[in-house]
Parts: sequence; C-alpha cells; structure tokens
Amino acid sequence: MGGDEEGVVRLRRMPRRRRGQAIVEFVVVLPLFLFCLIGALDAGLWAVQSSAEVSAVEEAAMIASSAGSSPVSETAPDARAVSAAISGRLRSSMFGTTVESWCAVEASGACAPDSTQQCPSTPAEVQAADGPRVVVVCVSEADPPACTTPPPGQPSPYPLGCNDSPLITVRIIGFAASLVPPGFGPGAGGFELPTNISATTHTLRFAP
Amino acid sequence: MRRSRRRGDDAQAVLETALVIPILLFLVCNFVAVMVQVTVHQQLNSATALAAQSRFQAPENAVDPAGSQCCGAHGDTLVTAGLPTGCRYAAETFYGTMTTDTGLIHWQTAALCTSGGDSGNGATPPVQPVAYAGSPAHAEVSCDIGSIGKGGIVVPGYADRTLNPPSGLDVVTCSASASLDFANTPLAWGVFWTPTLHAQAEALPPPFRQ
Repeated sequence: MGGDEEGVVRLRRMPRRRRGQAIVEFVVVLPLFLFCLIGALDAGLWAVQSSAEVSAVEEAAMIASSAGSSPVSETAPDARAVSAAISGRLRSSMFGTTVESWCAVEASGACAPDSTQQCPSTPAEVQAADGPRVVVVCVSEADPPACTTPPPGQPSPYPLGCNDSPLITVRIIGFAASLVPPGFGPGAGGFELPTNISATTHTLRFAP
Repeated sequence: MRRSRRRGDDAQAVLETALVIPILLFLVCNFVAVMVQVTVHQQLNSATALAAQSRFQAPENAVDPAGSQCCGAHGDTLVTAGLPTGCRYAAETFYGTMTTDTGLIHWQTAALCTSGGDSGNGATPPVQPVAYAGSPAHAEVSCDIGSIGKGGIVVPGYADRTLNPPSGLDVVTCSASASLDFANTPLAWGVFWTPTLHAQAEALPPPFRQ
C-alpha cells in the first residue's frame, strides 16, 4: 500500500515531460500486454476444450458403434442417448458454453432418425440455429446400399459395399466461449472459438 | 548536458521496448504452438485407436471384392480390393476422424495393410510385419491385421507377447506418424521447431465378434 503511494508521489515529482513519456509508454504497452495475456489464456482454454471434445467424440463413437437394443441389431443407439452419455463430462470442460444435442426436426415435429440426420457442416450453421456460445453433439448414420441380384457379368455381392455395416459419425461442432470480453472480438457476441471435431467408425455386428 | 541525458533515457526506453516485445510475442507463439501440438497429437491418438478397434466391426474372413476402394487424404483413393475388409474399415475410420489441421500436418506414409508382426520376447526375436500383396503403399495409417484367406488359410496379425506370455495374443495394431509444419501459419516467425508426432494403438478381438 505504502509502495503504491510512494509510486504516485514519485510520478508526481517527475518532470512533466518524463511523466508524459511514462504514460505514453504505458498506453502503448498495455494493449500489447493484454493481447498477449488473453491470447495465451485463450490458447490454453482452446486446448482444454479441444482435448475434452476429442475424448468425448472418441467415447461417443465407441458407444454409437456398439450394437443397439438387441445383440443382433445393426443400428446404432439413438443419437440423444449417445449425446446424453457424453454431455455431462463435456459440460464440465466447456466453460460458459452450452452443450446441446443436434436434432433435425421432421414435419411431424419429432427428431429425424440417425439414418436421415443431417449434421451441420460449419460452426456458423449451429450459431444460426441455436445462437452464440453453443456447441452441439450430432450423431449421423450412413447405411450401406441394399444388396440386390447382380446383373450378368457382375460379381456377388452387388452393389459394392452392400454387406458393410453402417458408418456412424459423431460430430461436436459450434462456437465455444472464450475469455475475450464482448465488444473486443470480431463477432457481435464477443470473440468465440470455432470448434468442429468428429469421429467416424463402423457399427459392431455381434454373431447371432 | 541535460538534453543529451534526456535523449539517452528516450533511447533506453525504445531499446527496452524493442527487446521486450519480440521476446513476449516469441513466448506467446511458442505457447500457442505447444497447445496446437498437444491437441493434434490427442486427435491422432484417438483416430489411431478407433481405427484399430474398427477392424473388428468387419467379419474376420471378409475380403474386399474387386473394385473396392476408399478414402485417403486430400482426395487420394486407396484401392483395397483383395485386402481384408477390416483394413478398409480401419482406413475409413482413421480418415473420417483425422479431419482437422490437414494443412499443418505432413504425413509419413506407410503400407496400409500388413500382417505377421511380432513384439518378441527373451526367446523369440521381434519380427517386422510384411505388407499384404496389393496393399496401398502410401497410406497415412498402417494397420497390422490378421485374416482368414481362401481355403481357410490363417494369415497372422500382430503377436503381442507381453499379453498372455510366452505365446502372446494375436492383436491388431495401427500406427500413424506425422510432423507439424508451422511454416504456413502466422506462428512461423516465432516457432522454429517441427515436432514429430507418433501414435500407435492396439486392439484385442471382442469375444462375440461375427
């Protein structure tokens, strides 16, 4: 405390020219210092959030690739079940960011099934649909084409890949909150960290 | 005399700032680079682990028919005809998961599908795996995979003798290596190192697989 008063007194005792110089130096260095400090903190925050997201999509892909309700089922668990399984852990690492389950709504008002689910391809798409500082967990399923009788001269099974198990993609996408306060970043709601991490795997088929 | 002292003070302040600012930015650049390296490495580990696991989503004796192909980085196509289907599954999983930071990563390529590796122990020397005939040679991920060929011929996968010693267990291993090149990023002026990342994952067959 005494040190602060001493500093103020010392500043007042300075010649006017030197005082001006100190203030100019301070004004020049402060934004740069804050830029470096917030940049480093944001890089750390981004790393923590990315790390949590990579672990979450890996875990979600493992869950989604396991069989569904019965041991011979070829469909993955419902997207919301997968989201629920990882959301709790993800929320604890996503500071100030809302984690939601992506749901493309059908005409009936219900969520589209995994096989027709269209995941957003850019973080901006999520922002337009759900607002700022929201990341969504989206699970989609690509089913192989149905096997048919091969035309003459074509090998069986036909078409190619018809015996494959479905391909599951889990995506975490959106804009995560950062430490830059609103008004100082490029976006209207402050600076946000874009995130787009996915994992893809085939579903597991158990022997009947 | 007083004027020259003042000018000396000014010069000292400018010199201090000129020294401190680059050092500060250098530290921040390297801090960010380390964060990027950690994140990419974690994603590489995750993609490799999922690739090894996904081999078991395909039936053990399934072989890709003529005309089969898949994925590959930067739009390249990997021809997988005649290879175990699990090999294609592993590649599809790896490329489907390792999607970000592609401009930053320089891959070290290898044969996509190999067989017969052995970790070795005191009595048995380690053995390098051999590429399957017709395996793409420039894949970003390499998986050592066993299969059952035509006529029931068993092609061995990777024998890990640390598991169930001394005979070991037939497992699947996938590995991938890459280096991070910051030359084309804004970090280039302050980051002078090129880290090499390596990921290796091993997967055991589940008991009730098809």
